Amino acid sequence: MKAKDNPFAVERVHAIRYRLQNTTFERLLVRLHDMNYRGAIVGPEGSGKTTLLEDLRQRLEQEGFKTRLIFVNDTCPLDTPACRRLLAEMTRDQIVLLDGADLIRRSDWAIMKRYTITHAYGVVITAHHPGRLPTLLECTTSPELLREIVAELLPQGHPIPAELLDSLYQRHQGNLRACLRELYDLYARNDHI
Amino acid sequence: MDRLAVTFDKSRTAFAPRETVYGTIRWNLDASPRHLELSLFWYTTGKGTRDVGVVQTQRLDKPGAHGTKDFSFTLPESPYSFSGRLISLIWALELTSSPGSEIARQEITVSPTGREVILDTPR
Repeated sequence: MKAKDNPFAVERVHAIRYRLQNTTFERLLVRLHDMNYRGAIVGPEGSGKTTLLEDLRQRLEQEGFKTRLIFVNDTCPLDTPACRRLLAEMTRDQIVLLDGADLIRRSDWAIMKRYTITHAYGVVITAHHPGRLPTLLECTTSPELLREIVAELLPQGHPIPAELLDSLYQRHQGNLRACLRELYDLYARNDHI
Repeated sequence: MDRLAVTFDKSRTAFAPRETVYGTIRWNLDASPRHLELSLFWYTTGKGTRDVGVVQTQRLDKPGAHGTKDFSFTLPESPYSFSGRLISLIWALELTSSPGSEIARQEITVSPTGREVILDTPR
């Protein structure tokens, strides 16, 4: 199968937005307001933290907030000089959205955490573990969620057996991104499963 | 009629590198946008991170709520349209209005043969 025809191609997966469970974006924004716009989206790898942060950014901008989204990862680290540059560029009307806060050194994070109290309107981070900021929302996954997402990505009439999805989910320990990547490979190897 | 549309002369959608693409844009909106923008670009899709290259953009300021305009773009030498199992490179023209979220996109094939290059992956 050609990459562009693969139902699990990256832009199709990215088009699936975060599905809030037991809450709404309106409630989430109220909660964030109550937290002085300082909170953490917490969850394991592949649970939708980055997707939720991007969706939250869109909602905040619709509400008239200025935001700045920063991705921190292995290829785009936020070392001490980069951290200082970021702090220098910060403005009081901005909500800083920081994806991958776990990867910032503790000493740099301590400075950033303190600095953003007075030099930014707010800060929302994603992290694998709670503790860096009060938890705004905990991202979780389930086999049912994987099935729902896969059903949305697949052309109608070409379902993947639920047992296969469940075993993928178990093997990847709930990491939906890893599950969807493996499904990409399965489709790349075969014209259909 | 679509609110935004991109069509090519003689309904062609396959072109050779360095060839000039001729076509027409049409718009039929509720109010005049600030501007319309027509972009020629390529992007990759597949398993990995998406890569994008915008080759040329033409902007039409205060175009009115509806109208038509001819356009032409000269394609570069490369990259060719191609597809493998892990990555495809797709060329497209995209018309957008601002403000607003209206988009019209037409994909084209760019290659000397008029067909996308198929990358054969050994099994």
